[in-house]
Amino acid sequence: MIPPFLFWTFALLLLVFGAAVVLNRNPIASALSLVISFIALSALFMSLDAFFIGIMQVLVYAGAVMVLFLFIIMLLDLRAEERRKINVVATTGGALVALAFFAQLYLVIGQLRIASQPFAPLPPKTDDVRNVGALLFSNFNLPFQIIGVLVLVATVGVIVLSKRELR
Amino acid sequence: MSYLQLLRLASPETVVVVTTLVVLAIGLRNRQSPGLNILVAVLGLAGACAAVFMLPRSAVLFAGMLVISPLTSLFKVICLLLAFFTLLMARNLSSRNHAEYVGMILLATIGLMLLVGSEELLMIFIGLELLGLSLYVLAAFEKHDIRAVEAGLKYFLFGSTASAFTLFGISILYGMSGTTALAAIAQKLAGMPIEPLLAAGVVMTLIGFAFKIAAAPFHLWAPDAYQAAPVTSAAFIASGSKVASFVVLGKIVLIGLAPLHGSAGWHAMAGGWMPLLAVLAALSIVIGNFVALVQTNVRRLLAYSAVAHAGYTLLGLVAGGREGFSATLFYTTIYALTLLGAFGVVGAVRREMGNDDIRDFCGLSRRAPLLAGCMAIFMLSLAGLPPLAGFFGKFYLFSAALRAGGNHGLLWLVALALFGSLISLYYYLIVLKVIFVDAKQETAAVAAPQLDLLQRATLLALAGAIVLFGIMPQTLVSRILAALA
Repeated sequence: MIPPFLFWTFALLLLVFGAAVVLNRNPIASALSLVISFIALSALFMSLDAFFIGIMQVLVYAGAVMVLFLFIIMLLDLRAEERRKINVVATTGGALVALAFFAQLYLVIGQLRIASQPFAPLPPKTDDVRNVGALLFSNFNLPFQIIGVLVLVATVGVIVLSKRELR
Repeated sequence: MSYLQLLRLASPETVVVVTTLVVLAIGLRNRQSPGLNILVAVLGLAGACAAVFMLPRSAVLFAGMLVISPLTSLFKVICLLLAFFTLLMARNLSSRNHAEYVGMILLATIGLMLLVGSEELLMIFIGLELLGLSLYVLAAFEKHDIRAVEAGLKYFLFGSTASAFTLFGISILYGMSGTTALAAIAQKLAGMPIEPLLAAGVVMTLIGFAFKIAAAPFHLWAPDAYQAAPVTSAAFIASGSKVASFVVLGKIVLIGLAPLHGSAGWHAMAGGWMPLLAVLAALSIVIGNFVALVQTNVRRLLAYSAVAHAGYTLLGLVAGGREGFSATLFYTTIYALTLLGAFGVVGAVRREMGNDDIRDFCGLSRRAPLLAGCMAIFMLSLAGLPPLAGFFGKFYLFSAALRAGGNHGLLWLVALALFGSLISLYYYLIVLKVIFVDAKQETAAVAAPQLDLLQRATLLALAGAIVLFGIMPQTLVSRILAALA
């Protein structure tokens, strides 16, 4: 368990930089904000004793994926986005829907009995990596392999859609 | 469980994966032969079909991740058949990346088969994503056509948002029940009251499927995707994806969420998924039919009629039970075959006229009597006129809905659906009137659409199937009923 003020710090970081990803007009600043929000998310995971997911979050997302993102942004030489006119009706409509959804979730979770109880502590010695690995190759073998096909779809799709046609 | 055993039980999917890799490899060596790609792909589908027939009668792997039963085998064959017809129409795609196009259709087919053959939420979600990603690429495939790209992007944005909601819903269901296998979820939920969190989970889970079947108000992507995507892609999006989604939606609500059914009868409304689906159905029927009335483009018209048909098809699920589910499955299969055929005709007209507005169909009966005749069969079947399969499908659906729910509780929905069918007759007949009655001045200047033998045979086979299932529906219905027993 971490002290509450650390939780609030990381949660606030996560939200502020998550919003910054969307609001920044410069793609590089967006990508870097995303890195920080990933790191804050991983801190939250670790505060729940989920160390494996926390480390994965840093290694895979903040490390590998975001570096690739930055490379692509720099290779494509993306400039800051043009300032666009804001469609008032669409924006207020979207904000209302989002707000309604948030309010609903807030009420639902507030009513929940489990939400007000503290988590039961995990058994002290859980070997996360070993357990995940064992599950991945036993009970979750089929989905694990299907994900391979999913990655093939993504690869072929990206190449087909982004390749320049030689005519 | 050994790898060998897993390979044997998942052999249909494996065969399709291997075929995909072969097609992609051919595409690397040889970019000029669409015929060869399709031949290999069709052989692969035939092999997969044979593999389905060699599966054991029933088996359950990993707590429902892969279920083999008469029902899943039947619908795997149907999905393979739909992919087969789609491939036959895919010959005319003018792209250098033809092999990748065929490969994507095959990959989407794997998604269909996984969806149909799974009773576990994690696997269902992966199948949904596999299908979705392939279809986004298929929709945007003609990337030099800006409208196709727009359609693809819209489909992708809507689709990924809907998937996010579904994933959130699934995680709540998992949190409440501690399991992702549908049968186990039903056991856990059996004694539970419908708490707000559970209700939120159910609603969010269903959003992704409402999107896939294009039920209102989650239908906004459909008109663009149907109109602007390559014709073959649109046909596959409208047929294969819909069939698999209805099968899996039926499994989720009838197996996994069975204890939470509630009631949609007008005198006995009770919370659960039944009233939810009933509202979706009613909205789809009303919005789909009324908006279709004012369309001037045939593909857009088909899209809005697809929304209405999603509404009719949901009726069977709202009715629930074995009879309702079988009515839904029969109707969605028939609908998929009909729409494939209709898109085949639209594709032929589009190749000739360069567009597919209703006025481009002017005088088609004189230019190409065969196409016009097939289109008449498809349109009248969609409208639900006897003796075509669409009529029996609707009859079966409506009678199942009337009998369910006790004391004719679903009468309001059936009445709405009948009213919707009546409206739909108008716009289907408008298309037929243009084809058969309207003469046009420059008719002589336009050459008849060129169709090779294969495409003629495909269209004839589809039209023949519609007539045949209309006259002898029991051939398919009895199979579905036996599989559901």
